[in-house]
Amino acid sequence: MKKLLLLAAALLMVVGASAASRKQKDGDTLKFQYEIEGVNNGTQGTYLVRVWTYSSSNKADIETCKKNAVHGVIFKGYAGSKTVRPQRPLVTNPGAELEHAEFFKLFFQDGGEYNKYITITAGSQEVIKVGKQYQIGLVVSVSKDALRKALEQAGVVKSLSAGF
Amino acid sequence: MKKIISLAFFTLVLGVATMMGQAKKPTIMVVPSDAWCNAEGYVQEYDELGTKKTVADYQSALQNSMELKLVIAKINELMADRGFPLKDLEATMNSIARMQAEEALITSKTSGAEIAETPLDRVRRVAKADIIIEIGWAISHQGPKATLTYIMRGMDSYSNKQIAGSTGASQPSFSAEPVVLLEEAVLSRIDDFNARLQEHFDDLFTNGREVALNIRVFDNGSGIDLESEYDGYELIEIIDEWMELNTVQGRFTKLESSETRATYEQVRIPLFKESGAAMDTEGWARQLRSKLRKEPYLIPVKVVPNGLGSCTLIIGEK
Repeated sequence: MKKLLLLAAALLMVVGASAASRKQKDGDTLKFQYEIEGVNNGTQGTYLVRVWTYSSSNKADIETCKKNAVHGVIFKGYAGSKTVRPQRPLVTNPGAELEHAEFFKLFFQDGGEYNKYITITAGSQEVIKVGKQYQIGLVVSVSKDALRKALEQAGVVKSLSAGF
Repeated sequence: MKKIISLAFFTLVLGVATMMGQAKKPTIMVVPSDAWCNAEGYVQEYDELGTKKTVADYQSALQNSMELKLVIAKINELMADRGFPLKDLEATMNSIARMQAEEALITSKTSGAEIAETPLDRVRRVAKADIIIEIGWAISHQGPKATLTYIMRGMDSYSNKQIAGSTGASQPSFSAEPVVLLEEAVLSRIDDFNARLQEHFDDLFTNGREVALNIRVFDNGSGIDLESEYDGYELIEIIDEWMELNTVQGRFTKLESSETRATYEQVRIPLFKESGAAMDTEGWARQLRSKLRKEPYLIPVKVVPNGLGSCTLIIGEK
């Protein structure tokens, strides 16, 4: 009986820890706390960027990094440097994220459509401790032309030929 | 029979519906800048009253510069991806030359008459587009390193204003070929360029197309000029009032005015006619001519379009 009780308690702890971890992960994802910078002028139709994701853990949650990179290309754009041209965000209307909240909720859900537009550069992961947090850097290639087309089809951004 | 009439009616309705709400899609063409043509020697010299003048020779540039062809092809490819295929400079020039050659050979069956053409028609027979993308570049060397300086400007042919632009220099490179540097320059700048183009289109839809209107008077002794009075108002006042009513939010600037001439700039004309069909500068100016031809004015007016974004109305006769 004692053994059974112990087993049940252990199971409860494991489930609780897993739920807490998932909650933490979802929290990190939904906060979209990140920095984005250009790494190089990507090949045709792509941006090559490094996304720095803020996390309370030093272990990279790749999915969150990927979501942040796509989010950055859509809503933030990035500043230039000596070797990289600055790029504007694909969405320039400041209210678009709220206006199309339902679309982006589905788009950025785990395993969502965002996954189709991103490729990770192998071996590019970096971790920096900043105060109590960690900055996890990952270099990714975002297929911005395909992403723009998807956003145009969803009515989030206007096509260049709209109205003509 | 009933079916045929129904089908014809349906086709008509569909055609009108398609026409409504669709502005005339601007044509865009990439041309090399005058500075680039001059630096590369693709110019033609001519004598104008004893002064030597040069004019860009696009035909020669297209026949000799692979770099130019590559840039045009790359920009065309990228713009086509955005649903905006460009009007090709080389194809347009070839088409003009072919048309010219064919027209020179056409004669009528009965009298043997040739196709009528005024000197003005000959001057106007050039490659045109609503928006001109002007590109130019220069490669400078510092020791073994090559740097590409690049300029790309989008010019609105209607207002002659720059509506988009992108400039910059590449990183010095030991090994990259000029064509590679050029391709990289185009790829890294086209999104910013298109974003500015989009802003221009948004402005067009909100505030109308920007054009210019010139009013002139034929010196034919008819006594009609811009100070002639109708119902107590001078003709120029009547034209001013028409302008206020027929521009988007009454927006225009009157640059000059006298009894024989008036010039209006920054005139914002609507993109659509009342019927819903697309409007252009000439069509818009013809509306003013229609008004002046009617009672109580009964003034004959000649409409002369000057390029895509400017029109001259000459009062007095045709």
